[in-house]
Amino acid sequence: MSDLLAPGEARQLGQNERYDTVAARNSRFAAGEMITVRVRRSDAASIAEFRVPYRKWMRVLDALNWIAENQATDLAYRWFCGSKMCGTCAVRMNGREVLACWEAVEPDMTVEPLRNLPVIRDLVVDRAPFERKVAELEPWLERPVAYAGFPEPLTHKQMKNASKALDCIGCMCCYSACPVIGLGDLTDFAGPAPLVQLGQTALDPRNDAAKVSRSLKLTGIFNCVSCYKCEEVCPASIPIVSQVIEPLKARAVALMPEMAKHSNALRSVVAERGYVDPSALVLRVRGLKALSNLPRVLRLLIRGKINPIKTFLQRRTAASDAARQYLSRGDRP
Amino acid sequence: MRFAYYPGCSARSTCAELNEATHRVAAGLGLELVQLESATCTGARELRAIDPVGFYTLNVRILGLAEREGLPLMTICNTCTLNVLDAHAAFVDDAELAASINDRLAKEGLGYTGRTRISHFLWVLYEDIGEARLRSLVRRPLTGLTVAAFYGCHITRPPQRYKFVDSRNNVALERLAEILGCRPIDYSGRTECCGFHTAAYDERIAIKLTGQHIQSAKVNGAKTMITPCPLCHTVLDSFQREIEQDMGQKLDMPVLHLPQLVGLALGLSPEELRIDRHMVQFDPRAAIL
Repeated sequence: MSDLLAPGEARQLGQNERYDTVAARNSRFAAGEMITVRVRRSDAASIAEFRVPYRKWMRVLDALNWIAENQATDLAYRWFCGSKMCGTCAVRMNGREVLACWEAVEPDMTVEPLRNLPVIRDLVVDRAPFERKVAELEPWLERPVAYAGFPEPLTHKQMKNASKALDCIGCMCCYSACPVIGLGDLTDFAGPAPLVQLGQTALDPRNDAAKVSRSLKLTGIFNCVSCYKCEEVCPASIPIVSQVIEPLKARAVALMPEMAKHSNALRSVVAERGYVDPSALVLRVRGLKALSNLPRVLRLLIRGKINPIKTFLQRRTAASDAARQYLSRGDRP
Repeated sequence: MRFAYYPGCSARSTCAELNEATHRVAAGLGLELVQLESATCTGARELRAIDPVGFYTLNVRILGLAEREGLPLMTICNTCTLNVLDAHAAFVDDAELAASINDRLAKEGLGYTGRTRISHFLWVLYEDIGEARLRSLVRRPLTGLTVAAFYGCHITRPPQRYKFVDSRNNVALERLAEILGCRPIDYSGRTECCGFHTAAYDERIAIKLTGQHIQSAKVNGAKTMITPCPLCHTVLDSFQREIEQDMGQKLDMPVLHLPQLVGLALGLSPEELRIDRHMVQFDPRAAIL
């Protein structure tokens, strides 16, 4: 018998409960079974451990409520709507950002505050850095021309990306999951959550280009590493990278080409060669500064990691012909 | 089994050893690789954002070239894989886009109908070779080799698309390592990001991010890291000296491309697999019992 997996199945190796319903995940428990909940509390050096009796349909929030009612009345955590709307109850459960109100409990779970924001107490974080950034980005609509009156001609195709961003509930899961935000002040990257807030209006075709440019300049958007960590944890399933950050980058390139030197350089290198010669790309982006670390250049040269002959003697190939043709601006439908 | 083979830019330049190793290993596995001579770059991450028309055209063109050969497409780079998957999905979903791309491709007698199966080398091992056959091909079990699997981003995310599982739940690399006789270790960097995509203009993000992952692999006892992506490899291996300087500590962690690990188990020599071309040197003979 063949043990071959069907096409597409190898990507699913390891699939278990993710994307299943709370009901399916809860089916692992019997009523009254004890679950272990470890909570990282801000006043204790260690993690506090609680034993919580399982109740049918139990969510992380229910477990926190039980702890607050029965064992730790001073436990600080936030929640309001309990139904995936208000975005206040996000925590990290077993290393993953989740909404406490929407995540099934696990038999053994560690609950921690979100990362990348100051902790006020226990599971409560200070949202001020996010709010300040959003305010700075002026996330509103400014019309370059006077409002023509209702109804405005606006198709859902024009609003395709902005409408995705409008699903945001501001829960900060993405902000906590973003590795670049985790690096602190190393970059000026605004982070996924503020960019989604900005996308709601900056991706609206009615918005004033000058205002959008002003906002985009403050985002450090080209520091996004495209890791999709934000999309992975978004409870609202917003395609943050592909339908918010990338369209915003496209907007930035169109409005301020100097902001996207790297992206434009890559495009030109591909158009000229058909493929990317990394040395050619780095030289184009950084100029001769790229050679400033001579020992490193030599090390790379010795191992054959860089090949100056290939970099400087550019050959015309079938691939370069194709790239030139399809990336030229003249040949557009 | 024949595949249209798409190595991508990295395996043709910085990671040329990956291309060589893949050819050797493919021969050992009975895979025939048909090179798509005029295939271009898939546009990395940049082209898709700043020039969607160009991005879709180049990627659909690659799929069309494979379709013309009547072959499935095999990739060996995560980002290339996601790019062609994205282009294929957009092509299938948007008839208007599909027609406009085919109009452009028609000038060179090419076209695409949406039939090309896209498979990364890692998936080919499970879907076209199979565990049992792979086990039977192992000439030199990699006993004693502890490996840290570094998946990278673009064959595990975005979630809910292309059948990707929750990235933390990935086991394909670990399971493969076991089939080959290694012992996979658990560590915090498994499905984290290497930061490659901003490295051409600012390496600091890649250096800071990846340092933690290598250190975690080391602390947890890995003798080598393995990765299915040459872009991750570039940061993990070629940037490692800079990472060490930044962290102020020696890491000395070798990093193997996935096909190199498979090749070692098939009995190919480190020289044939061009392991000598890495920045961090590794002697498999000393690491394997």
